[in-house]
Amino acid sequence: MEIDKQSPAKPRSVPSIVYDFLSGFQVATVTFLLLLILTWLATLEQIDSGLYPTLNKYFSWKSPWLVPEINGKKVPIILPGGYYVSALLLLNMILGGIIRIRKGWRHAGNLISHFGIVFMLLGGGVAHHFSERGNMAIFEGEASNVAEDYHEYVVEVAESKEGGTGKIHVIRGRFLEGLTAGNPRILCFSELPLSLEISGYQGNCQPESELINAPRNRELVVDGYYLRELESNVETERNIAGCYARIVKVDGSKSDPFILWGGQYHPFTAKVDGRNFTIDMRKRLWPMPFEVKLDKFTADFHPGTSLPAKFISDVTRVENGREAEFRIQMNEPMRYEGYTFFQASYGPSGAKPGENMYSVFEIVRNPADNWPEYSLYVVAFGMLVTFLTKLGGHLGAASRKRNYAA
Amino acid sequence: MQHKNPVWGKWVVAALAAGALGVVFVNMLIDNMPKGDLQKIEGYVAWQKESVEVVESLPLQDGGRIKPFSTYAGFKMLQLHGARSMKVLGKGGEKYKIKPTEWLMDTLFRPELAVNLPTFRVDNSQVLEAISIETKGRRDRYSYAEIKPGIQKLIELAQSYEPIEKKQRDPIQQQTIDLAYNIRNYESLLGYFSFARRGMELRGTGSEAAADKRADLSSVMTAAPQLMAEVRAANTEKREVEGKLQDLLQQVLEAANYSKFGLFMLPPKNASDGDWLSAGNTIMAVMTMESKDPEAAIIDIKALETAVRSVTVSEQEFRKHFAEFKDSVEERADSRGELKPISMEVSYFKRDYFLNAIVLFFLGTLCALAMWGIGSGKSAKIFSWATLGFTVIGAAYCVIAIVVRCLIMDRPPVGNLYDTIIFIGATGVIFSLLVEWMNRQRFALGLAPILGLALIILARRYEVGDAGDHLDPLVAVLDSNFWLATHVITITLGYSAGLLAAMLSCGYVLMRGLNLDGGNKDLRRSLSKAVYGCICLTVFLSLVGTVLGGIWANYSWGRFWGWDPKENGALMIVLWTLAILHARIGGIIKEWGLHLASIFTACIVAFSWWHVNFLGVGLHNYGFTAGKGAIWVFYAAMIIFILFGAVAVIVEYYDKQAKRTAKEKTVEGLEA
Repeated sequence: MEIDKQSPAKPRSVPSIVYDFLSGFQVATVTFLLLLILTWLATLEQIDSGLYPTLNKYFSWKSPWLVPEINGKKVPIILPGGYYVSALLLLNMILGGIIRIRKGWRHAGNLISHFGIVFMLLGGGVAHHFSERGNMAIFEGEASNVAEDYHEYVVEVAESKEGGTGKIHVIRGRFLEGLTAGNPRILCFSELPLSLEISGYQGNCQPESELINAPRNRELVVDGYYLRELESNVETERNIAGCYARIVKVDGSKSDPFILWGGQYHPFTAKVDGRNFTIDMRKRLWPMPFEVKLDKFTADFHPGTSLPAKFISDVTRVENGREAEFRIQMNEPMRYEGYTFFQASYGPSGAKPGENMYSVFEIVRNPADNWPEYSLYVVAFGMLVTFLTKLGGHLGAASRKRNYAA
Repeated sequence: MQHKNPVWGKWVVAALAAGALGVVFVNMLIDNMPKGDLQKIEGYVAWQKESVEVVESLPLQDGGRIKPFSTYAGFKMLQLHGARSMKVLGKGGEKYKIKPTEWLMDTLFRPELAVNLPTFRVDNSQVLEAISIETKGRRDRYSYAEIKPGIQKLIELAQSYEPIEKKQRDPIQQQTIDLAYNIRNYESLLGYFSFARRGMELRGTGSEAAADKRADLSSVMTAAPQLMAEVRAANTEKREVEGKLQDLLQQVLEAANYSKFGLFMLPPKNASDGDWLSAGNTIMAVMTMESKDPEAAIIDIKALETAVRSVTVSEQEFRKHFAEFKDSVEERADSRGELKPISMEVSYFKRDYFLNAIVLFFLGTLCALAMWGIGSGKSAKIFSWATLGFTVIGAAYCVIAIVVRCLIMDRPPVGNLYDTIIFIGATGVIFSLLVEWMNRQRFALGLAPILGLALIILARRYEVGDAGDHLDPLVAVLDSNFWLATHVITITLGYSAGLLAAMLSCGYVLMRGLNLDGGNKDLRRSLSKAVYGCICLTVFLSLVGTVLGGIWANYSWGRFWGWDPKENGALMIVLWTLAILHARIGGIIKEWGLHLASIFTACIVAFSWWHVNFLGVGLHNYGFTAGKGAIWVFYAAMIIFILFGAVAVIVEYYDKQAKRTAKEKTVEGLEA
């Protein structure tokens, strides 16, 4: 009789190896450690570089890898970008924490927690890509229905007509940001008899007279002025962008260059085919489907101190002629039609009693607004189940051991 | 083969630990005790107990809330003196211990004695050498009278240092500025009741034989309508105000300016007015005809004049008049609903719960060291019960103190950094006892009083360094009892669990590395389970707390995550503990690895809890720098534990290898 030889283990397929790797504890541990290091370095780097640039550097999808900088000095290591590490963690969590994880009552808590964290990470992704933030400042007795973006500068082109302005055509910031010196691009408007050639875009700059401060980097000089590049502010919302532009007519002829700068008080005006146009650079405004009127603003301080106790804005929301009164204060925002209004600031500082005040609202449009809250319930429940299961098991074992010893 | 129980090793470690604790304790005592000989103050006698009891509960407004005189005095004394008591030699060479209420009573009512009290703590004598004042030790305490000859120069120096950015100032410059502020602050208290002591001089009413007559300021206030009418008439007629009147008004202005700051002890008449008034505000309001109730204001000032002057008559008289004034203030405060927690607060500071807790935890620590040193037997059992007893009573003191603070503040227990320390101290002890209840190894039991002692001492050191009243109200954005009770508590409990895990692991590393457990595998396994459990608890609390914080931020500022350093710190704890758990489950780390990683948790908790406050950015930035050096010492201590553990792992590995080789050789020998 022939004895069965033990067959050697089947060679594993490549997808199976990849699956095992991606769903393994090793990947989970390494991604947690990488995220920990990235978070720590980003915390330190934001002190010098400011929050917004640091976040872009560490956690934007545009940043696949990075070299950290602490106290203005580069640290000689290359780290993967946080966005991609998070994506890998998400994949690992789905493959390992949901699909591969052992099923059964003892592991139910872990499974629920992993579901919750996957949902939370997805929420973070949705917020990262689709949320918008801006602010709205209103004086008492006045109303507004537009929010101003914190960072994005746009170019607006509109026709001036008798009795008002025509439709406003907007070039979004993402089309402007790459148009540095020597890299012009013509941007067309289908409804207008003109196009704009934009070049020399700078995220933070100011117009400078060549007589006072001569250009050092061969900047383009227009009517004796050029755009001098400034270092980015730590609070990047204080940056003022600028660029050079030329009007390109339908026949292809171009105007002389002119400066567009976010801090200018009046727009550039031009006449094309007998029609008047205004061209302006400013922070992007987004219109809202309703109007908000500030009825009253109250700033309360703890007695005898300058310690803020309460900031209250009493507002009226006006939509299609219908009015609704609302109170916005710290920890109590107004949520309506996908927009959330938060009490952010007020002014003028040191206003005397009776002086007209203004209130500043932070406005957020975030499709994943409440997702973290829902995921928290799931995660907390899952972890509680795990924790209690383990604790029960431990106490049970200890009790059995003591009984046995007795 | 099991190792023999190395009892001597345990005693060496216990003695070293006791020595280290002794050094910390003695250092703390020395730091708070005056140096050199006691200051002699001619004619000084202590206030009678009854007088102190009348004054200590006078309600006044400070830091945005109503608090008793004794609390105000306590923090003022801490700010200037660096301690809550001082000792002096008084009348007949008798030794007196002066507490905050008595110290402030001296300052306000007996300034001629108070100027000789060693009120000012000077940490570096170079500050005084620079203004030509004779110095004592390098760090010592000085009276106002001793510093007075150099005050002008001190102010000039401080003014010259102020334009230097705070970060750029050297310690001497900063201490010069601080001392100048403290002196000014003290002067405003010394002169607060000068209007009552001296009254107003009516110049030109005397003769060669007799001095000018004096009038009470309250009487001048009664005549305010006539006086101001005269001033207005002079202005209208474009003539100069009569010289004597001008002089009188100038004296009133000066007196009011002296008593304008410091004690806001007069409740306003209108319930809608939140700000209480100082004596100076009240005087000026009447004199400028802006007072809403001039009659009541004059009665208040009159009552103060009577009380202050009666100090020179007899203490009984003072007590009687001051009690009358206090009754009137209390009646008004009560009608405004502001009197309720005053007596509770007086008793809270009097009972000094945390000092009692320190003593109990210290005794518990000594018993724990003896318990560990003895190891087993009846004596060890007795010491374990003693440890448990001291620790439970110490923890009870902490819990009672925290509950009383909540009742006074009318908010959940954690709202500022001081609150976090005492809360982590109390909960760390309770968690330790729970771990002990579960594994009964007398390990967590011994750790509990050590953890409690260290954290409550830290809290007291922080309180002295900060010298701020941590019962004061919170800023608008933090003023949410729901979120303080959920997010803040959960996060703080997470810190507590993380620190406990690290401390248990430190003990494990020390025990296994030095073989203090005699190779007791049950004990090791039990400790590893406890640490694993604590890490699980840390993940749970930190994750839930962090997400709750995100939800709060979403409610307050419209963003779930703002990359604020404090938020990042909490996230780092979550990520680190998750990495530990996944590495453990995945078999990447074993028992040693779990403990070494757990010790590093303490570094991450310290970064999140303390270090982010030094970074100077973010919404949770408290803007203080106290303890900046200590945090590096803490990191270094944890790293030393990790390195020691790493060395122990290597030694253990080679030890095992050597044994295995020896065993194999023995087997080969037998086979041969």
